[in-house]
Formats: sequence, C-alpha cells, structure tokens
Amino acid sequence: MPAQKPLELILARNLLTSISTPAFLVDQDASLVFYNEAAGALLGRSFEDVGRMSPEEWTSTYGPFDANGKPVDLDELPTTRAVRDGRPAHAAFTIRAANGTREIESSAFPIVASEEGSSGAMIFFWPQGGDGQEGG
Amino acid sequence: MRIKVYGARGSVPAPGPEMNRYGGNTSCVELTLAGGEQIILDAGTGIRTLGLGITASPHVNILLTHLHLDHIQGLMFFPPCFRADADITIWGPASPEASLEDRVARYISAPLSPVEVRELPCDVSFRDTPPSEWQLGSATIRCEAVNHRGPTLGFRITDGDTTVCYIPDHEPALGTVLAETEPEWISGYDLAKDADLLIHDCQYVDDEYPFHVGWGHSAMTDALSFGSRVGARRLLLFHHDPLHADGFLDDLHAAARRRWGELGGDPAVVEMAMEGARSRSAPPPLRRASPRRHKYPPDLPDRSFSGTRAAPFDTRYKHVAEILDGGPGTWAASALNFPVRFG
Repeated sequence: MPAQKPLELILARNLLTSISTPAFLVDQDASLVFYNEAAGALLGRSFEDVGRMSPEEWTSTYGPFDANGKPVDLDELPTTRAVRDGRPAHAAFTIRAANGTREIESSAFPIVASEEGSSGAMIFFWPQGGDGQEGG
Repeated sequence: MRIKVYGARGSVPAPGPEMNRYGGNTSCVELTLAGGEQIILDAGTGIRTLGLGITASPHVNILLTHLHLDHIQGLMFFPPCFRADADITIWGPASPEASLEDRVARYISAPLSPVEVRELPCDVSFRDTPPSEWQLGSATIRCEAVNHRGPTLGFRITDGDTTVCYIPDHEPALGTVLAETEPEWISGYDLAKDADLLIHDCQYVDDEYPFHVGWGHSAMTDALSFGSRVGARRLLLFHHDPLHADGFLDDLHAAARRRWGELGGDPAVVEMAMEGARSRSAPPPLRRASPRRHKYPPDLPDRSFSGTRAAPFDTRYKHVAEILDGGPGTWAASALNFPVRFG
C-alpha cells in the first residue's frame, strides 16, 4: 500500500476535487498523484483510468510542447520549478489530450508545510490568451 | 496500559444535572503504562480532577493535540503546576509563528490568568513533538498532523503489544467520502491503523453535521467509517458536543452500535467516552469486524446528509468540453458560474 500522503496534500486533493478549474496535484518528487474531474474532461481520461505517474510518464503522455512543437524540458515546466524552487511558476504551452491538442496556460503553486521544503504543488490550467497574459 | 477518561466533552465545559453521567469536563485522558508511568492526553478541564489524585512527587508528561481552549483550559488548574516538587513536560504541535511555551502563555497570562507561566513553582518545560517516534517511559509515541482547524496532532501510543490512538478533534471526511477514499488519502489513517483502541471525535450526529462542515469535527457515520477503515479493534467515541445531554448520547450510542454492525463489526466494541470510565486497552476476546469491512469501496449505507455529495462526472463536466470548443476566455468566464460543491 502506498505511504500515506502528508495532510497538506490530502487537503489539497480535497480542494481540487471540489473545484471546476482543471488542476493537477503532484508530490515532492513531481509525480502526478491526482487530477480532478475538470482536468479529466480536458484530457479525455479520468485520473482513475491512468493512476499515479512519474514526471517522465505524465510528460510523455500529455506533453507539453512549445509553440514550435518541441517537448518542453522537464526542468523548465512550472510544476518542476514550483516543487524545486518553492516558488510559483507559469507558462503557456500545448498539451496532448485524448481527442487532440489543447493550447493552455499553466500556473503551479508549491505546497510548503515545513522548513524541509515543498511537499508538492497544485497546477491549474487555463485556456491560452483568456486575459491577454503572455506565456513564460 | 490502563486508560481513564477525565473529560470527554468538546468545545466548552458543559456542567449540569443532565450531563452528569457522561460528564461536562473537556478533553483529558490518562494513560498508565505497563511500567507505571503516566501520560496525560490533553489538558482540558478534566485535568483538574486528575491532578487532585496525584500525591507522590510527580513527573508528568502531557501531550497536547492542539491549543484550542477546550484542550488546555485545565492547565492553570492542574494542582501539580503549583507544587515545587513536580516535573511537568508539555508536548505539543510546533508552529512557525511562536514557541509552544509562548502560545500556551497567551492563556496563562494577564488578563486571562492571575498567574504567569514563569511564576509556576513546578519545573515545567515545553517541547515540540518530534517528527519521528519517541519514547516516554515504556511507550513509543508517534504523532501526525490531522485534519482540524489549525495545527492539530493525533497520537499513536504503543506500550508492549498494545496500541492506543487518540484523535479527539478530527474531520477526515471533509471534502471526501471516506468509504470511497484510498487509505493513503485519509487523514490519520496510518496513525490509527489496527489500533487496539481508537479514541476519536464524534461531536455530531449526522443530521447536525451539514451545519458544521469544515469546523474540524466528525459526524457519527464518519467517525464509524474512519474506525472501520483503519481496522480499530475498539472504538471510543469522544468529544461530545456540549448540547448533547445524557439521554441524547445514549441514543447516539445505540445508533452507533447499529451502524457499526452494518459495517460488519461487533457492535459491542463501540463505546461512548464517559467521565470517570476506566478501561484496559487490551481488548477482550471480541471478534474483529469481518473482512467485508475492508472491501474497497465498502458497502456503506448512504449518509443522511448525502445531499452534499458531488454530482456524477458526466453531468458535472460535460460543459467543460463544450467550453473548450468555444475559444479563449469563455472557459474561465463560464467557470465562474460553477456551483461550489463539497464531495
């Protein structure tokens, strides 16, 4: 049985379950441990269908890709930056869903509960260009 | 290990003739280890009575789950605090905001108190609970953060082959349905797993809970569901609401036993915490709940407050796909119209 998640990840998952903004939850290793139903609708697959994935697994499944169609380096993803640096990060890119590609923006927020560093991050997805923001 | 309850009430003391049997004092439980050492769980008003019975030169360890008033209010009236021969160690949750001593001193200081911590004649020390297991006498103690308002711990105390888990303030079902949640995502699960005795929050009956969602406490069905999921051998329902008089708690007890039976367990293992009640944590030869209890998801009856549960996937999010075809901007704008739901 997997080790119990820290309370802050449990509460984060409960929050994501209750909102309609598509969102991922990753642990301290940047492994995908949950995404909500809105994200499932966006990707065309529910989390229950795919389960936990390592960073390499979920990037190979969903991308993302930059404007030129090249895979975004794992170290440059908002998710990785948020977990690694303990700082929020934002970027625009293309992801691969079950029924085609989607242009999205992604905002990652680290979850920090102790001085030992972040225990994970929440990543929210938005349609590109909704409010004139530039990707970065 | 021997256990005695000195206070089982939650939130605020509730004295009165209609509360006499279950008692009106707030959270305090005494554990006497096999080697005779004493551990006190929380310092609600019940600790005053406990302290009156301490006669020998005391060395006392008090484990505080959190610093809400109903868990520390008795500290200032704990007789050993006023004895020069007493050695008291108070353990509690760490906070980045202030030391444990400084936080407790907000209560034991003017204008709320006529004395200050530094004036207490006893030898008192304040210790943050360590992140890993530690020893107190013959017992191994482990704590974890659990879902309540503010930094709050649950404790797992193992003495020999007996384990007691104490989670008096806990809302593990907030935002989730325990019967459908994987163990790794249940607050307090590892802490309470296979405990011989689980002392757990049961502040509300199911009909009351919808008015108190997010307050950090459990409805009866959730307390039982949690106890069932973790495989507790005995369950002591604790932290009674101050509005719940003796007769009401009797009815709650009967309902809890029926529900535990529906979960596949032996109804006799569910007890209500009652002031003055003693227990040995080593359980009698009772049958454990049947393997059906561990079926995932288990066959649970719907909660009476199931109206808060989320709608099915396809009806909740079919319009997300519609919005995705609508171009930038429409998605976020429409998302604002989603109703807020609690699962």
